[in-house]
Amino acid sequence: MWASISWRLLKQELRRGELTIMAAAIVLSVTAVLSLALFTERLQGGLTARSAEFLAADRVLSSRRDVPQEWLDKAQASELQTAQRVVFNSMAFANEQLALVDVKAVSAGYPLRGELLIADQPYGDERVAQGIPAAGEAWVAAALFQELGLQVGDTIEVGDSRFEITRVLTYEPDVGFSVFTDSPNVLINYSELQGTGLIQPGSRVRYNILYAGASDDLADYEAWLTPQLNEDTHNWRSVEDGDSPLARSLQRAERFMLLASLLGVVLAATAVAVAAQRYCQRNYDVVAILKTLGAERRKIQKIFILHLLLLTSLSIGIGLLLGWLLQAVVIAWVGNHLGVTLPEGSLRGVGLAAGTGLLCAVMFTLYPLLRLIDVPPLRVLNRQLGGAERWRWLHWLASGGTIYALLWLYSGQGLLATALFVGGAVAAAVLLLISRVFIKASRQAGMQAGSAWRLAMAGLQRRAQANSVQMLSFSTAIMLLLLVLALRYDLLEDWQRQLPDDAPNYFLVNVAQSDVPALQQRFAERDIEANDMYPVVPGRMTAVNAVPVVDEVTKEERESEQAPQSEQREGFGRELSLTWRDTLPPNNTISAGQWWEEDPKPQVSIESGVAERLRLTLGDELTFNIGGEVFTVPVTSIREVNWSSMQPNFFMIFNTATLSEFPATYISSFNLPQERKSELYELFRPFPQVSLIDLDAIIDQLREVIAQVSLAILFVLVLVILAGILVLLAQVQASLEEREKELVILRTLGAPAKLLRRSVTYEFVILGAISGVIATLAMELSLWILQTQVFELEATLHWRFWLVGPLAGALVVGSMGRLACTRLIRRNTAQLIRRLA
Amino acid sequence: MLIQTTQLTKNVETSEGILHILHPTDLQITAGETVAIVGASGSGKSTLLGLLAGLDLASSGDVSIDNVNLGDLDEEQRAKVRADKVGFIFQSFLLVPSLTALENVMLPAELAGNKAAEQQARELLTKVGLQERVQHYPNQLSGGEQQRVAIARAFVGTPKILFADEPTGNLDAATGGKIEDLLFEMNQASGTTLVMVTHDNALAKRCQRVFRMDGGQLTEVTGDVG
Repeated sequence: MWASISWRLLKQELRRGELTIMAAAIVLSVTAVLSLALFTERLQGGLTARSAEFLAADRVLSSRRDVPQEWLDKAQASELQTAQRVVFNSMAFANEQLALVDVKAVSAGYPLRGELLIADQPYGDERVAQGIPAAGEAWVAAALFQELGLQVGDTIEVGDSRFEITRVLTYEPDVGFSVFTDSPNVLINYSELQGTGLIQPGSRVRYNILYAGASDDLADYEAWLTPQLNEDTHNWRSVEDGDSPLARSLQRAERFMLLASLLGVVLAATAVAVAAQRYCQRNYDVVAILKTLGAERRKIQKIFILHLLLLTSLSIGIGLLLGWLLQAVVIAWVGNHLGVTLPEGSLRGVGLAAGTGLLCAVMFTLYPLLRLIDVPPLRVLNRQLGGAERWRWLHWLASGGTIYALLWLYSGQGLLATALFVGGAVAAAVLLLISRVFIKASRQAGMQAGSAWRLAMAGLQRRAQANSVQMLSFSTAIMLLLLVLALRYDLLEDWQRQLPDDAPNYFLVNVAQSDVPALQQRFAERDIEANDMYPVVPGRMTAVNAVPVVDEVTKEERESEQAPQSEQREGFGRELSLTWRDTLPPNNTISAGQWWEEDPKPQVSIESGVAERLRLTLGDELTFNIGGEVFTVPVTSIREVNWSSMQPNFFMIFNTATLSEFPATYISSFNLPQERKSELYELFRPFPQVSLIDLDAIIDQLREVIAQVSLAILFVLVLVILAGILVLLAQVQASLEEREKELVILRTLGAPAKLLRRSVTYEFVILGAISGVIATLAMELSLWILQTQVFELEATLHWRFWLVGPLAGALVVGSMGRLACTRLIRRNTAQLIRRLA
Repeated sequence: MLIQTTQLTKNVETSEGILHILHPTDLQITAGETVAIVGASGSGKSTLLGLLAGLDLASSGDVSIDNVNLGDLDEEQRAKVRADKVGFIFQSFLLVPSLTALENVMLPAELAGNKAAEQQARELLTKVGLQERVQHYPNQLSGGEQQRVAIARAFVGTPKILFADEPTGNLDAATGGKIEDLLFEMNQASGTTLVMVTHDNALAKRCQRVFRMDGGQLTEVTGDVG
């Protein structure tokens, strides 16, 4: 019997739209969670696969020594694909010339992720390589063709072996971004490695095992392997560990999406809370009537719990359907747009979404529901009576606990959840306080204004308590919206900065000093914007503070227990590209010491990573050997270098006085649109010794990934905006209900509709504007914390939001208020009075 | 005795001390009687009604319905007493806005587990002249029609007692008159005991006994009501 009463009540409430906002809030939270979970999961799957190409594998084990066969066997037993890659420097000999090259010996299967691109002629048409060089063959980078005057079919000697050059190597997925620290690559078959005779004890060789496979298998293998790794010898890497711009972009995007989704869910939860409170309050009379007519408490409980369950299940069902459809549409669009196929989503998202909807609905309606059930029957005679306040603690506990649980559930990070929760609670308290002060101040200002304004101000003041709570939700919604907008803007701008449309896509190396003016002139004639020309002097660092560095640690030494540990330092193990400059290069910042100002004394500035790795500090005296000439300079500054910038970067920069006398070649980078590629030949014809490195493939790959991430972010933003609007709508409706009685009285007393509409509009405009100001303030503060602590971005002020925040607040809240009020006032007075009766 | 009070009082604590809303009151009403309680606004009439119907708890003294002392019962048991024996009519009608006229009338019967609720409700709505409007919602009915639905609802469980709080207070004179007639007519037909709170002396005169409430003191009016 009670079930049919419950169903009848629900049916009519639904029909009359009384539950629309609450249902919409649940639907939205479920839709948002499901679509986001599925979308991010699938997109991330796609992105990780794409990014894995930068490693040429899902995971890479890098080692100074050959790795035990057992590790490879175990990988195979774990159903992982593996490939071996051994990299070392050597001199290559061809056409009676020598050149320093990076030899890369790879086994079948390489690359496990991504593709190797080859051509039949230098700068010829690229195609995807099927397999790897056969035994006796070598694939050689275009730069080496220029350097040694090679042709396909020539023979190149590496160590004791001779190889026939059969292809031009145009793109290797794992080439990395440090184009200037590497020599041209020579790719040979792994089986040829021993034959070169170059792998001797003490040789500086990197042994890499590449792994690919299912993420569970990888995780199991990782858990088995990592305890056996030696920090000094081994390095285990995944895409996320890299210092590539891609890895950082991905991490930031992931954090952004996580945060934005969290905020979206919290907003939707707030909407549920506001709507639930309103729903319960509107049913006070119904409960009083039911109790008066003899309904037992238990029955009333059942009636309303069933209400809620029906509403929740219905909303969750719709939300799941919508969420699934939404992500399918977006994924299809993204797929078409970017020409990629994304992996299927899992059921985890469905559970998460349904759980979130249920949690929101149950926990946020708990207190209003308890109060509702507690309404005394005497309310039929005394309408002032409502539910008891004794559950208030439960309200705070339930809603606070739910928000915390959602934060945790969604982020999977206790620390982040706690930080956001505590931060949010403090912000809410401050917002509450500020809104009270604002209302008080605006009351005084309003006294001097016209009648609609005065009415509005009086209204604000009278409902100060209720208003400050409303303002809290307005402010929170506006703040979160601004926050997500501003963060998105910052992220995109940061990426744009890193990869502007005119980012250099070609690097020039080996430019003779005498050719520099002519080359610069050619660039100017063809309107090609090139970066500065950087002189490069090859040299070795031989000692630190007069103690020789160990460049080549032999296997025996390393394994010997008596090996000197602290006295001797490890060097670079190879020749370095040294440069000189008067000014600090762009994208470099001094982190310690000072940049020189035309100081004739010899000195060097070192990159911070090198300083850390080689344990170098300011004032250390570094000894260099350049072509047999030995000199010593002090370290006078340490630089942070943005390696993701597409420009020449250096570990060691000297002042002009120290290095300019040495013979140098020059390097630079420039941007040339793809469609002008044909000009390259003509451009460099007079400079045959200049080597050109084409970065278009890498840049395109990066751009593509960033485009995908930007789309994902836009999608999240739309969902968060929807959630925000829902909160505002729920709150305006709830607030207007509180004003309803007063409006009816004023209307009955003959107040013209225009006056009432205006006074309500003004009241909401003021509420919205003040909320906007508070929201902007809170947004700037939160953003500063997020930028500096979470996203590693530069903290900036967002002046335009100081205008946008209050204006948008006033406009949106004001017009929502006006709309709701207009609907109310359109009824005739008798209808209004009856509505209140 | 169907309703009996003994030294029934109601006090509330205010910031200025204890306020005596109802002074010790003794009242006996027998089955089938019609009783009016008149008095100015704020005199304590509705408080007494709330206590008699078990909607509120007394500060001291006893009230019993059909020999059951309401003071000994908890809220659930009092609800049960109301469900079994009491019907209500209010000044503001107090219909459930999301139920139709028919569903509103069925409500008490359904809550009492009466299987024939719908049939009874239809009969009663026909009696009050609303057979054409059974599927209408309260906001689609006029004030008089809403009160007729409320009367039908009050009689659906064939209650022993009907409590009416200013039943015509929200209606114009003509409509109010029709509602009064309907109320007394149905009351007479069912032999229900009627306890009515009103400030309308003319309405009070139609009852067999009239009490006046003044500042929380209840006295029976034996002569002309005024």
